[in-house]
Amino acid sequence: MVAVGFVSAATLAYEILLVRIFAIEHFHHFAYMAIGVAMLGFGASGTLLALLGRFQRESAELWLTLSTGLTCLALVASPALVHQIPLDPTQLPWDPYQWVRLAGVYVLLALPFFTGALVILLALTQERGRPGTVYGVSFAGSGLGAALALGVLWFFLPERALAVPALLAALGAVAVAAARGVGGTGGTGWQKGFLLLSALAAALAFARPPWSLHVTPYKGLAQVEAYPDAQRVAERTNPVGWVVAVDAPAFRFAPGLSLAFSRDFPTATALFVDGGLVGAAANWASDSAALAILDWLPTAAPYAVREPRRVLIIGAAGGTGVWNAITHGAIRVTALEINPALVELADTRTRDLQRNGVALQWVVGDARSYVARSRDEFDVITLAPTGGPGTSAAGVHSLNQDFLNTVEAYTQYLERLSDNGVLSVTRWIAIPPRENVRVILTAVEALRRTAGDVLERGLVVLRSWGTATVMVKPSGFSRSEIQHLREWAHERLFDLDWYPGVESAAAQFNYLAEPTLYNTAAAAVSGKEDVQAFTSTYPFDVAPVHDARPYPHHFLRLSSLPALVRAGAGEWLPFAEWGPIALVATLVQSVVLATLLLLLPVAIRARQKQYRPPVRILGYFAAIGLAYLTAEIAAIQQLGLLLGHPVYAVAMVLTVFLILSGAGSIWSDRREPATGRPTLFLLALTFAVYAVLLLAIVHAFQGAPLFARGAVAALALAPPAFLMGIPFPLGLRQLTGENRVHVAWAWAANGFASVVTAPLAALVALGAGSQVLFLVAAAAYGAAAVLGRISTS
Amino acid sequence: MRYRTVVTAAIVLAAARAEAQYPRQSERLAMVDLIAARGVHDAATLAAMRSVPRHEFVPPNYRAQAYGDHPLPIGHGQTISQPYIVAYMTEILRPRPGMRVLEVGTGSGYQAAVLGELGAEVYTVEIFEALATSADQRLERLGHETVTVRHADGNHGWPEFAPFDAIIVTAAGGHIPPALVEQLNPGGRMVIPVGSVWGVQNLILVEKDLTGDVRTRNLLPVRFVPMLSELR
Repeated sequence: MVAVGFVSAATLAYEILLVRIFAIEHFHHFAYMAIGVAMLGFGASGTLLALLGRFQRESAELWLTLSTGLTCLALVASPALVHQIPLDPTQLPWDPYQWVRLAGVYVLLALPFFTGALVILLALTQERGRPGTVYGVSFAGSGLGAALALGVLWFFLPERALAVPALLAALGAVAVAAARGVGGTGGTGWQKGFLLLSALAAALAFARPPWSLHVTPYKGLAQVEAYPDAQRVAERTNPVGWVVAVDAPAFRFAPGLSLAFSRDFPTATALFVDGGLVGAAANWASDSAALAILDWLPTAAPYAVREPRRVLIIGAAGGTGVWNAITHGAIRVTALEINPALVELADTRTRDLQRNGVALQWVVGDARSYVARSRDEFDVITLAPTGGPGTSAAGVHSLNQDFLNTVEAYTQYLERLSDNGVLSVTRWIAIPPRENVRVILTAVEALRRTAGDVLERGLVVLRSWGTATVMVKPSGFSRSEIQHLREWAHERLFDLDWYPGVESAAAQFNYLAEPTLYNTAAAAVSGKEDVQAFTSTYPFDVAPVHDARPYPHHFLRLSSLPALVRAGAGEWLPFAEWGPIALVATLVQSVVLATLLLLLPVAIRARQKQYRPPVRILGYFAAIGLAYLTAEIAAIQQLGLLLGHPVYAVAMVLTVFLILSGAGSIWSDRREPATGRPTLFLLALTFAVYAVLLLAIVHAFQGAPLFARGAVAALALAPPAFLMGIPFPLGLRQLTGENRVHVAWAWAANGFASVVTAPLAALVALGAGSQVLFLVAAAAYGAAAVLGRISTS
Repeated sequence: MRYRTVVTAAIVLAAARAEAQYPRQSERLAMVDLIAARGVHDAATLAAMRSVPRHEFVPPNYRAQAYGDHPLPIGHGQTISQPYIVAYMTEILRPRPGMRVLEVGTGSGYQAAVLGELGAEVYTVEIFEALATSADQRLERLGHETVTVRHADGNHGWPEFAPFDAIIVTAAGGHIPPALVEQLNPGGRMVIPVGSVWGVQNLILVEKDLTGDVRTRNLLPVRFVPMLSELR
C-alpha cells in the first residue's frame, strides 16, 4: 500500500513537471499533450490487466515488484530518452519525419504512467475486497505528488526537479523491497536487488540529471544568449516560471520606440520567463541620457496628458514602467508583479530610487486581488505589452487564462483612479487588428459601467508603427489635455486614431489599410447595439471577455474553421491560432490513440466471446470519467482568479480533489456497492449550484489575504471532492463476479473518457466558459445517477 | 515510331543537360509560378527568384524541401524565409541596378543573393558569426560579387556605406533601430517583417520622403487578403 502511495505521487508529479518542461522547451499549449499521455498510460494499463484476468497471488506479487522497479527506471529513462529525440514541432506541417519523432516522444512519455498504473492495479488484485482503500491511497498519494511537484520548483531548477518523481518512485521501490526484506517471506534476492538498483538509478539521476533543457531556438532566450558576449547573469526558479536574466551588448529593449528618436540606446538586462522575453531590468538612476528614451515610448502617453503623483503599474516585470513613471514626475509608484523572481531582479536595480525620495513599493501578487483590497487612488494605472510583436500575432497566448484584461478587471481599475486619473493599456498591433480592438471595446464597456455619461470624452486611442495605446479617463479628457497630447504625439510620429472631438479617421504618420481602430472606437462610444453590429461582422471574435471566459487573447471563431479548412495549403496560417490548433490536434490524436489502445482490444475480445457491449457499464464509467476531469478543469479556471495564478489553482485543486477523493474512496468500502445513486445526484446538484454561485463567491473574497482565499478555495472544493472519490470504486465493486470482458469495458470507457476530456474540456472552456463546464459536469454525474445500478448479473 | 523515340530521347537528354547546368531548375520555376499566382508581379523580382538556387542556401538535411513555400531552419534559431515573403519584400523594396541596399540579418544569404541578382549593391550585416561566415563563403562561391557581408550588430546599421536607398530588416524585434532610420536616404524605403515566422508576418514599410519626413505603412501580404474576406 505504501508503494501505491509513492508511485501515485511519482506519476502525478511527473505529469505536472512535464507540463512545466513543455512550457519551457516548447510552448505551454503542449500541456494538454502531457495530460493526454498520462491518461492514456493509465487507461491502457487498466484495460490490459482487465483483459489478462486475475493473477495468482505469487505472480501478482512478482509483477508488482517488477512494475515498481520499472516505474522508477522509466521515470529516469523517459525524460532522458525524450531529450535525445530532435523534435521540432514547427516542422510538423511539412516534414513527415517529425511525426515519427512525435510518436516516439508520445510512447516514451506514456511509459512511466503505464508501469505506474500497473502497480496500482496489481495492488488492487491483491486487496480485492478493499478497492476503495487502494484507490484512496492512490488518490491521496497523487494529491501529495501534485503539491510536491509545485513545491520542489521553489528549490530546484526545472532540470533537476524533473528527477524528483523518480526519487518518489524509488521510495516506493524501497518500501516494496523492505516488505520483502530481511526476514520477510516470499521475496527473492534478485527482486530486491532489482528494486534497490532502480532506486539507486533514481538517486543518481537526481544528483546528476542525465538530460538538459533544450529550449526551442525560436524563443527569445536562445536567441539573445547566442548574441556575441552574452552572459547569463541570474537564474531563478519557482512554480510560476523559470526566470533567466541575460546581459548582452546587442540586446535593446524599447517596445514601439518612436521613429523620431535619434539618441543613444541605453543598455539593459534581458529578462525571460520560461524562455520568452518579458522585459528588461536596468539601473538608470544616474543616467539621464538613458532615461530620455522612455519619453519616446508609446507607454509614456498617459504622462503627456498630466503629470502623475501616484502611479500603479500592472505587470511591472523588470521595472521599465517604474522608470518611466518616475521620469515623468511620479513620487509614489506601486509596481505589481506576480513572479517574485522578477521582483527580486528588478528591485536590486531600482533601490537607488528609494534614496532619491521616491516611494516605490514592489508588490508580489496578482493585480485583481490588489485592486480589490486596496483603498489607494492612482493618477495613472498602466498595463504594458510583454514579449515581442510576434507572440500575440501567432496566437501563442490564445489558451492563456488572463483575468487582467476582462470587463470586470478594467472596471476595478477605473474604480481605483483618482478624480482625474487615467487608465492606459498598450498592446502590439497584429494585422488585421484583434487585440487592440478588444481592448478598446473592453475599456469602453468598463467606462460605461463606471461613468456612462462621458463615453465620448473619456477615450483616446494612440497608435505608433507597431503598437496601440488605449487611454480611458472617467472624468473626461479636457481640451487642453488633448491639445498637449496631440503635440506630444506629433513630435513622435504617433497617430491619434480617436480623441474627444475627432471628426474623421485621418492617419498622419502610420497608415493601416483600413481605419479599424477609429471604426472600433466610433462603434464603442455609440452604444451597445453598434458594438454588437461591429463585432458580429468583424472577421475575428473581438467582443469583450468576462471572468467566466477569461481568454482575451483568443480571437478565432469556430464558424471560421470551414473557411480556414477550405483555404489552400498554408493560406490559413496567418489567421489561425497555435493554441487552439494544438488543442484540436491533441483531441484528434487522443481519440485515435484511445480508440486503438483502449476500446479496440476490448471490442476484439468481446467479439471473440460474442458478448454485446454492456451499454450501462460503458455509460456509467464514461460519465464519471468525463465529469471528474470537467469539474476539475472548471474549478482550476475559476479559482485561478481567486488565488491569483493558474499554477496556484492547479496545486490547490489537484491536492484537495485528490486527497479528499482518496478519503471518499476509502469511505466507500463501508458502503453497499449499489448505494451510489444519492452521491451522484448530490454531485450533480452541487456542480449545478457551482455553475451559478462559485464565481460570485470568488468575487466576494477577492480582496481577502492569500491564506483566507486559500481557505475559501479549500472549503469550496472539499465537499464535492470527497463525494467524487466514491462512484468509481463503488461501480467496480458492483462488477465483482461479472465476466472479465465487462470489467475491461469499464476500464476502457473510463480511460477513454479521461483521455478525451482533457483537451475537450479545454476547448469548451475556450468557447463557452467555466460555468458551462460546471453544467457539463453536473449533467454527466446526473446521467451516471440515472444509469444507477450497472451490474448485469 | 522510330522518329518519336528519337524526339523523346532528345527531350530527355536536353532536360538532363539543363538539370546538370541549372540544378533543380524545374522546381524553382514551379516555385516562382506559385509566387506569381499569389500576387507578386514584379518581373525583375520573379526573374531573380528564378535564377538564385535556393537549395544552395538551405542546410543539407533540408535540401529536399528547399523549393517548398515555407520557412526552414538554418541554425541559431534563425530561418531562411518563406520564398513568397522574400519575393513580396523584394517587390515592395523596388530594388534597381546600382541601388545601395542594406540588409540587417543576413541569415543564409538568400535574400541578399536575390537583391544582388537584381543588380543592387548589397551590404548585409549578421550578428551570428557562424552564419555571417558561411553566408559570405556561399555568396562568394555562387559568384554574387555585389554582396558584402559583415559580422556585426545590426542595430548600428553600416555607417561607413550610408546612406542607403533601401533597407531590409529580416530579424525584427520590438523596435526599429534609430540608426537605420537615420541611414535611409531621402526617397528611400525600408521594409521590416513583424510577427512570427511560423505564423503571420505583417510587413511594415517605412518611407522617407525627399524632405526627410518618415511615414510607415502596415501591410498585409497580398496572398492573405482573399482569405480575410472569407472570414468576414
